[in-house]
Amino acid sequence: MQQRVIETLAAEIMRTSDFVETEADSLSERFQRLAVNAQQQTARVDSLTGLAMGIDVEGEIIRIDQVARLFETTLGEVVSKILLLSKDSMAMVYALDTLDASVQNVGKCNAGIDGINGTLNMLALNARIEGERAGKAGAAFRVVANEVYELSKSTQGLAATMKSELKAMTDGILTSYDKLKRVATVDLSDNILAKERLEIVLRALVQRNNGLETVVAEAVRESEAISSDVEGMITGIQFQDRTKQRLEHVVDTLQVICKALEETRSSTATQVPELATASAPDTEWVKHLLSRYTMSDMRERFVAQILDGQPVDWGEETTAKGAPSSSGSMELF
Amino acid sequence: MKFNFDGTGSIVAMSGDFTFTDHVAFLEIMNRLFETRAEPIVIDLSQLEFIDSAGLGMLLIARDEVGKSSRKLTLRAPKGQVKRMFSVTRFETLFAIET
Repeated sequence: MQQRVIETLAAEIMRTSDFVETEADSLSERFQRLAVNAQQQTARVDSLTGLAMGIDVEGEIIRIDQVARLFETTLGEVVSKILLLSKDSMAMVYALDTLDASVQNVGKCNAGIDGINGTLNMLALNARIEGERAGKAGAAFRVVANEVYELSKSTQGLAATMKSELKAMTDGILTSYDKLKRVATVDLSDNILAKERLEIVLRALVQRNNGLETVVAEAVRESEAISSDVEGMITGIQFQDRTKQRLEHVVDTLQVICKALEETRSSTATQVPELATASAPDTEWVKHLLSRYTMSDMRERFVAQILDGQPVDWGEETTAKGAPSSSGSMELF
Repeated sequence: MKFNFDGTGSIVAMSGDFTFTDHVAFLEIMNRLFETRAEPIVIDLSQLEFIDSAGLGMLLIARDEVGKSSRKLTLRAPKGQVKRMFSVTRFETLFAIET
């Protein structure tokens, strides 16, 4: 009876070992797929790091903070140029104001010349009248009067030319002033303040990017940790071979014990034949033992092999008859 | 824009909006400031509500003119839009700005 129990136990160990091997192979295969997926995920997350760090500009990766600095520098230069333009425009406005004042003064001088000219004309006319009144004695006086008149005419002509030139200058100044005024009155304050808004946006962009970089870096670390864990699991599962070897040693030892028991039984039967038939098999003890089993298929195998004397099933069809390995389901009781 | 000089003649307070149209008035301010020997030369901006780019240009001209006599022009207490304009154009690197 003990011999049958040991054989049945050894067969059960082998059956269980086969079951574990099949399940371990299946698990190993699934974990390998998981490892491949985890590696691909790590690669994808890693590529996100590149995207988070910067932008591709004609094949060169430029970091977001560098982009922000470039914008800031450029905007600073634009604002400086706006300031310089405003300052120079206003300086030209003041210069034209001064020029206009000078031209106005020249105009006043011209009016003065006109006044002097009028007086000269009157003087020449009076001298001529007096010369005529003096007769022969006034001939020289008349000559001087004519000369003064001619001089007055020349001065009048020059004054008219100056007036005309001054008018052209005044018109030119007014035209320039109007054009300059158009430039100087363009209010660039909104454009200047646009720099402030852009700087705020750029700071927010850099901050968001830093946050993204941190998150992606964490994701990469976690992804790598998952890959490493999965690989460790696969290695652990592959150590199932050693478990199987240990169980084979146990089964081998049980079979040796079985043989020893058989030899003891044979020699006892030869030397003391009455003992061989004296006691019936302790079926009650076996039934008590089997009542401890909660798995019905295992209990049925033990009943068939130990009590009914059927040959021991060494589990060659383990996966077909035993628990299904593909589903990984377990018997519920 | 309106302006008001203090008793020393070296401090002028401007109020309202300071734009291109104020260039004649600002020339008068500059002439009066340069006439005085008192120091410091201060433009009080605490009541100025708005300044455009032409206004900034005129302040820069005033700074250059004051610099010719080795003196300094101080801008006092800019607020609101004026303060923001000074900040964006980094006026603090060009002027002494009192808060």
